[in-house]
Amino acid sequence: MSKAKGEYKVEVKNLTKYFGDLHVLDDISFNIKEGEFICVVGPTGCGKTTFLNLLTKIYEPTKGNLFIDGEPADPKKHNLSFVFQEPSSFPWLTVEENLRFGLEIKNVDKAEIDERVESIISLLGLERFRNSYPHQLSTSMAQRIIIGRAFVTDPDLLLMDEPYGQMDVKLRFYLEDEVIRLWQELGSTVVFITHNTEEAVYLAEKILILTNKPATIKEEVIVDLPRPRDVTSPEFVEIRKYVTDQIKWW
Amino acid sequence: MIKDKMKNMNEEEKRRYRLERLYKILPVISIFLLILLWSTVAAKSDFPSPKETCDRLMLLFENPIKGKNIFGHTAESLIRISIALLFNWTFGIAFGILIGWNKKAKALFTPLFNGFRAVPPLAWIPLITIWFGTGEFSKIMIVIFGSLASVVVNTQAGMLNVDQLYIDVGTSFNANERQKLFQIAIPSALDAIFAGIRTSTSAAWMVVLAAEMLGSESGVGFLIVRGMDAMDMPLVLAAMIVIGLVGALLAIITQYLERLMCPWTRVESN
Repeated sequence: MSKAKGEYKVEVKNLTKYFGDLHVLDDISFNIKEGEFICVVGPTGCGKTTFLNLLTKIYEPTKGNLFIDGEPADPKKHNLSFVFQEPSSFPWLTVEENLRFGLEIKNVDKAEIDERVESIISLLGLERFRNSYPHQLSTSMAQRIIIGRAFVTDPDLLLMDEPYGQMDVKLRFYLEDEVIRLWQELGSTVVFITHNTEEAVYLAEKILILTNKPATIKEEVIVDLPRPRDVTSPEFVEIRKYVTDQIKWW
Repeated sequence: MIKDKMKNMNEEEKRRYRLERLYKILPVISIFLLILLWSTVAAKSDFPSPKETCDRLMLLFENPIKGKNIFGHTAESLIRISIALLFNWTFGIAFGILIGWNKKAKALFTPLFNGFRAVPPLAWIPLITIWFGTGEFSKIMIVIFGSLASVVVNTQAGMLNVDQLYIDVGTSFNANERQKLFQIAIPSALDAIFAGIRTSTSAAWMVVLAAEMLGSESGVGFLIVRGMDAMDMPLVLAAMIVIGLVGALLAIITQYLERLMCPWTRVESN
């Protein structure tokens, strides 16, 4: 175990999940390096969300386990953060209070909260809106609060479940750039679930392609294109086409 | 001046401007019409006219009933509902949170509470009178019984309707049960709780009149009974109008309080 400790931030070993007789996940194993950005793609209904819920320990796996820094993942000890698909900022809190929320729940020192929240506010360019309520903001602005709220806790593992599924193309590009910026700035380890292959190739350092149910990892694709990535470049298109084919072909 | 304002507007804006002016004028017209109707009817019958009613109200300042003018009696009634509401808001909200949040408490108390809620507060009057007499305590008890249910029902509904997503966000930050209750569930139910505060206030104002009409020495309900006993209809009408005004004022105050406490429910118009 001590050998793995330096090498990988997160190790997923033989993750298997049955719901009764329904076999949802089959023997999934992979590793995530510290500060890595991973995208998980797969056909609709293949168990992406189950996969994510196992990582957050909302569900217990039937078999296998998840290790963070070589220890079994424990939400009490490790700092896991989750960005939901739906807009989940709290309407009764201002932008700033929303950003402070996770840190306050975790009883972080007040001076530390001030400092971290300030830096995330300036990173997201939310200075003008710090005292606004989410309903006063646009959908994209509200989604940025949620993403800020997740990044600000400096998580060991940040899980994002199709956070831009509902957005139009222009906004999505904009917010994808923002996530990359935050990730580069803060060095978080991110698992990003999406069904959009373009999004996956744009964001990820490594793409995990899941098969149909029972889902297992069909392939890991390394994306080593320089950033900022150009979605129209031949290399990009080639990888994107490859990933798409892998999802389509059984 | 209005002409000047309208000069630069197109047809659509002019139409909207006229409509908005109409909406401001219509309420005034309806009040004016009521007073007109009232005066006409009063002139042709024994019914007291608006002027007589107004005079009777003024007379109360010169000739107080039981040592109090209209402000004194209104204050008496307001003190009674304040005590009752303070009790209801404290215990009603706490109880509503309990049966909205804790499934076991809900199963345990719901049947009893539904039974209690179905009994009109006035039905308690005989029991309360026998137990506690006709003193101040009994009146406050009646008001408590009459306005408790709306606080509890609204609070419980608010707690039952907490969006699961918000709770999941708490789970994802590893919040404990206490944090989920106090930092997520209760704040998200606050607008429902305030709906309960508003309805309980208007309910209390109605019930206090009934309580005061049954053997009391003060309060606006007492003024109505006194007017009835003495066949002093201007006094009855004067009391009714004051009751209506104070009731409307209470509604405005609680609404203002809600905006102050729940600023996020305010819809911005930009």
